[in-house]
This record gives sequence, structure tokens and C-alpha cells, in this order.
Amino acid sequence: MQGLTDLVDKYFSLPVIKEVLPYLLKGALFTILFSAASEIIGIIIGLLTSIVRVTRIKVLNHLAIVYVDLFRGTPLLMQIIFIYYALPYIGINLPAPIAGIAALSINSGAYVTEIFRAGIESIDKGQMEAARSLGMSYIKAMRYVIIPQTIKRVLPPLTNEFVALIKDSSLLSVIAISELLRTAKEMMTWKLNPSSLTAAAILYLIITLPLTRYVSYMESKLKRSGV
Amino acid sequence: MIKIVNLHKKFGTLEVLKGVNLEVNKGEVMVIIGPSGSGKSTLLRCINLLEKPTSGQIFFDGEDITAKKVNKNLVRQRLGMVFQSFNLFPHMTALGNVTIAPLQVLKMKKDEAKKRGVELLIKVGLKDKIDVYPNQLSGGQKQRVAIARALAMNPEAMLFDEVTSALDPELVKEVLDVMKDLAKSGMTMLVVTHEMGFAREVGSHLIFMDEGQILEEGRAADIFDNPQHPRAKAFLDAVL
Repeated sequence: MQGLTDLVDKYFSLPVIKEVLPYLLKGALFTILFSAASEIIGIIIGLLTSIVRVTRIKVLNHLAIVYVDLFRGTPLLMQIIFIYYALPYIGINLPAPIAGIAALSINSGAYVTEIFRAGIESIDKGQMEAARSLGMSYIKAMRYVIIPQTIKRVLPPLTNEFVALIKDSSLLSVIAISELLRTAKEMMTWKLNPSSLTAAAILYLIITLPLTRYVSYMESKLKRSGV
Repeated sequence: MIKIVNLHKKFGTLEVLKGVNLEVNKGEVMVIIGPSGSGKSTLLRCINLLEKPTSGQIFFDGEDITAKKVNKNLVRQRLGMVFQSFNLFPHMTALGNVTIAPLQVLKMKKDEAKKRGVELLIKVGLKDKIDVYPNQLSGGQKQRVAIARALAMNPEAMLFDEVTSALDPELVKEVLDVMKDLAKSGMTMLVVTHEMGFAREVGSHLIFMDEGQILEEGRAADIFDNPQHPRAKAFLDAVL
């Protein structure tokens, strides 16, 4: 029984949580802001890169492949460190928040590229042929026929990507950005009590659960509509 | 109107079209019959530039549309195409499908495109399906929307690629009836089909293709009554 009491005191101490909560909420706000900004930039990067991939524009296509392989195949932590600590040696000095968003966006863009590419390629090729046979240019066919159908299909995997990004944003703590996890760790050393970690975990869940629920809902809806 | 000269098409080492020559005049209904794999569909797809011919030329109103400098989009605007698998846009209503190209390609005004779209859907007998999405339509209804969609661009000729082959038998007639009306209205049509009754009744001209070549060509009724080439004879004996 002593063990259980200690566990509650250390990890579920309500007085401690009450005291650190305002700080954690601020950290959570940073987490949301950094993740949302990075996701938006990541989607723009990913959409453009995926179009390069499916149209196989010669040199660009190879660059796109290298980009995707590089950023999906190495740890995000390493990418953050390189962008923040190594780039200054070639004269690129980014403030921590910019470096952080850059690292997350570029990393996320690589995953989004593959999500969009798979989405575009999953559209029946008859759709493109029908659009072209009506006299639409390739760009118009993409804009009005292929991409709108792709968006519906990629929303669930894209949201999953966003959930992963929200959790991955905790790695920004290595470049001293006070997002949720770093704040929680600071509170832990200040209070000499890790209950702040528990509170942070709950906050992460509050952010991510609506998103994961939304994915399940969308997936069952897509299955039913057959689009 | 359409003149094809010595057309060849190879997919890798497989030669699908082996020197096709054909002339279609304005107002003709050219029916193309023949066994599967004879190159009928490939021929239609070459005319619409969905396939690039390996060699040979296709003239449309005197212009060589296989030439490099040709604007394919402009050619396709003048040639309507209907596919076996409908290929309706699932994220748009029937009316949306019919108006998207006039709106975005011809830059037609919204109310004008809508008015014309509704007219066309009424013409193909789908007055009560105007705002319905494709997944709530039967195969025959889908194909009629696809025909209306192609007609919305005011094409000078229409290409039909086995448009009833994916339909349940009881739905074939409603699509063929629309095509019959279209033929009566004077539309120039190239029709790849396995519907021999339709070919005989509606076709003004007919070609029989086998192994990438045209083996027989002439007036539809003549070929049905009196085929000359032994392969055409055997084919017609088997399907009639």
C-alpha cells in the first residue's frame, strides 16, 4: 500500500498539478502554435512536391525523391539539431522558433508528399482521361477533377500525420523552445515532483483525441460513400 | 471530316494498329466492329489523342492533329468522347459533371452553362436526376450523363468506346436510344460496339477490324447482308 501512496504523491499530486497548470497551458499553446504552423507549411511543401512526383518533371523528380528519402529516413531530432546548430556555420542563423518550425515543416512535408502522391495515384486513371477528353489542360484536370477527390481521401492520413507532428514537436525542447513537454520537465525540477508530466500527458491527449476520433469518423464515412 | 492515313500504334513490341486508313465524312455514323483486341478502342483513343500514334497521320478538318505543334486541348474540345467505364466525376452532381468543362474550358457564363446543362440532361431523359451524385445513378443513367457531358462542349464529332459493354442488359436500350437520337440529329459519330442490332440500324458506314487492320469497309447494311472477307463472315456468323 505504501508503494501506491508514493505513486499517487509523486505522479498524481493534485496540489502540484494545480500550481503548475497555468505554465503547462502556456506550453500547450506553444505546442499547438508550432504544430499548426508547421503542418500548414508542410502541406504546402508536400502538395507541391507530390505534384512534381506524379508528373515526373525530370530533374525535380529526382530532387524530390532525395528530399523525401532524406527527411523520412533520418531522425527528426537530428534534423532539428542540424538546422539550429550546424547551419550557422554556413552563415544561416535562424532564431530558435524559426529553426524549429523550419525543421518540423520540412520533415512533415516529406511525409505529406507521400500521402498526397498515394492519394493522387489512387484516383482511377479514367478520371484524368475523361477530364482531358473534355479539353481540359493537365493543370485544370488536376485542379477541378483529381485534387478535389484526392483531398477527401487524404484527410484521414493527413490528420494522423498532424497528430504525429504534435507529439514530435516535443523534440523542439532540445533547442530551448518552451513547448508543453519542456515546460513540464522544468516544472518537475522546480517542484521536485513529476506530476507535471502526468498533467502534460493529459493535455497532449486533450489536443490529439478529437483529431484521432475525427479520423475514425472520416474513415467510416469514406468507406460507406465509396468515393 | 476525319481522315486517317497509314496509322500504326505499338505498345512496346505489340503492334495494335497495323496501318489503318479511314475516312469519315460529316454526318456519318461510322460503326467499328471486330473481336476483342482487334485495335478498335486504340483507334478511337488515337483520334482523341489519348494515345500517341507510333506513325501515320490523323487529319481533322484538314489539319494534321498528330503534328507536334498541335494544341491537343483544342482538338479534344471539338471531339466528344464517351467511355465504357463512364468516368463520371464522383464529387460533382449530374449537372456539375455536365457544366464543369463549359465553365472552366470555354469560360461560359454560369447561368448560361447551367441552362444548357439542364437542357442536355432533359434531352437524355434525366430531368429528375439533375442534382443527383453519380453513386446514386444506375449504369445506364451514368452513361447518359457522360453523353450529355461530352455534348456540353458542342463537339463536331462524338467517339463512343464500347459504351454499353459495362451495362446490365436491361439498361443497354436507354443508352442506345440516346445515341440513335443523336445520330438522327446529324451528329458525326464513331462508334465501337458489340451491339450488332444498333450497328445495323443506326450505322451509315461500318468497318470490321481484326488484328490491327481494317478487313472490310462499306455501308453497314451491305456488310451485314453480304460480308466479303472470310474473317468478317465468320465473326458475323458467330455474333448474329
